[in-house]
Order: sequence, then structure tokens, then C-alpha cells
Amino acid sequence: MPERTVKDRLREEYFDLLPDIRRLAEHLETEIRHRLLPISGKLDKYEQITVEARIKECESALDKVLRQQEGRTFDPAKAQTLRDLKDLAGVRVLVFPKSRLDEIDLALQPVFESPTADPILGDDGERLALKYWGYCPDASRKIPSEYQIVPMLTGLFWTVEHSRNYKPSPRLKDAVRGAGIRGLRQTALQALGAFEEEFERLVRDERSS
Amino acid sequence: MKDLARKERVLRDAGYKYYFDRALYLNRKTKKAFSIEFVEDKPADELEQKIAEDTTGPGWHFFFTQEPSDAVQQELSRALG
Repeated sequence: MPERTVKDRLREEYFDLLPDIRRLAEHLETEIRHRLLPISGKLDKYEQITVEARIKECESALDKVLRQQEGRTFDPAKAQTLRDLKDLAGVRVLVFPKSRLDEIDLALQPVFESPTADPILGDDGERLALKYWGYCPDASRKIPSEYQIVPMLTGLFWTVEHSRNYKPSPRLKDAVRGAGIRGLRQTALQALGAFEEEFERLVRDERSS
Repeated sequence: MKDLARKERVLRDAGYKYYFDRALYLNRKTKKAFSIEFVEDKPADELEQKIAEDTTGPGWHFFFTQEPSDAVQQELSRALG
């Protein structure tokens, strides 16, 4: 019988954890929607908040652990686990306009018992989105989960980029770590941020006139 | 970003190509490989020093932030050919 590889062991661990991952995603989405009700009920017509839960697929989880190894090679002597991944279950809250971010951030603070802030930063250290991870003991004591609060255009860009570039082959994520393509990606994100700010300014000006 | 762009230029000028399947910068002639973590973490001067370092022998030389185990070096050498 062939020896079990690190990937075989991680796949087995994934399916052991899958009931917890599913429970967490459902719990987190419900909790977040509930906490956002007071805000979503008073949104203006042009404003939007969307809540999307997602479960990390098995191969994507394995690939994330692999990408944490230099040379993208598992050392068979080193213990590996999926339990350290923060995003096996996650929720992304997309927000338009950006000025709602802080209010939503405050409303969601009680979601985790002891949240850890882990904001998503751009290459120049600018904050692109808010991110928190922590435990929801009612849903799982084994693994953490995370939620992100993202300006809508930035989040939609990431969704398109992910489904077009990485979903078919998660290892392509390392293709965009080179300086050239990172610069172009940064330019795209800056343009989307500027567009969103200008759009919001126009709406605000029109409403105040 | 500017620093990374400079380091990427240094590597390209020295004949290195980015092999994203393993996230390594490779030069098949000199059989040297730098992990992307090494390139991102270390200053450009140190990178230039390592590129210029005289490495002899038929096998690959790996420059990682943490010394790779023998098993990892063997697996990478097999994959890189």
C-alpha cells in the first residue's frame, strides 16, 4: 500500500472538519445579517450592503497551507494542519458607499468573543478592507472563522479576479507576487477606490443642493 | 514596492526567471534558486551578494529564509531537473 502523503492527511482532516466549517459559515452569516438589520433597514436607495458566506473548498485549503511553505513543497517530517487557517469559513460584507464602513465595523464587533483585527493592506500599507477572525464557540470550538468588511467595488474586483485567475488553479496566486503585476494590481485598486469616493461625493453634493 | 521592483530587476539582469509554480526565482545555468520570501524579506544588497556568490557542484543551491530540509531540497531538485 502506498505511503500516505501530507496532502492525503490534510484531505482527511478537511472532511473531518467539514461539518464544523458548514455550521460556522451558517452561524456567522446569520449573526452578521441579524446585527446589520438596524443599518440595512435605513439605507438610502443608492446604498447597498451585501453579505456573502463562503466555505473554502478542500483543494483550495490544501493549496493555502502549501503556499505557506517556502518553495511550495511540503516537508514530510513536519506536521501540517488546516486548523490554523482562519478562513475555512468566512463572510464578506460588501459596502457601498465606503462611509458606511465604520458604522458596520462597530455593529459587528460583538460577533466574535475575542476578535483579532487583521486588516487587509495594500502594497504601500494602505488599508483596503477590514478583517477579523475569532471563534464562535456555539458553532465550533475546533476552528476559527473570519469576516471581512470591504468597499463594494474593491470586493467585486477581488471576486472577479478570483474566479477568473485563481479558481481554476489556486497556485496562480503566486504568479501575481512579482513586482510588475503587483504594481498594475495596485493601480486598479487605487482607481476603484478613487471612483467610489468621487461617486459618493457627487451623490452627496446633489442631495445637499 | 520600489525595493521589490529593484530586486526583480537585479534578478532579471542576472538571468533569473520567476517560476511561480514553486514561487522561486531560478537560474538554470548557475543552478541557484531564491524563494520569493527570501527576495521579499532580504535587502537588495544581500540578494546581489548571494547572486554573485561562487557556488560549485552539480546540484541546486537554495536560498530560503529558513534552511530547507534535505527532503524538501531533494523534492525541489527532482522537480527542477
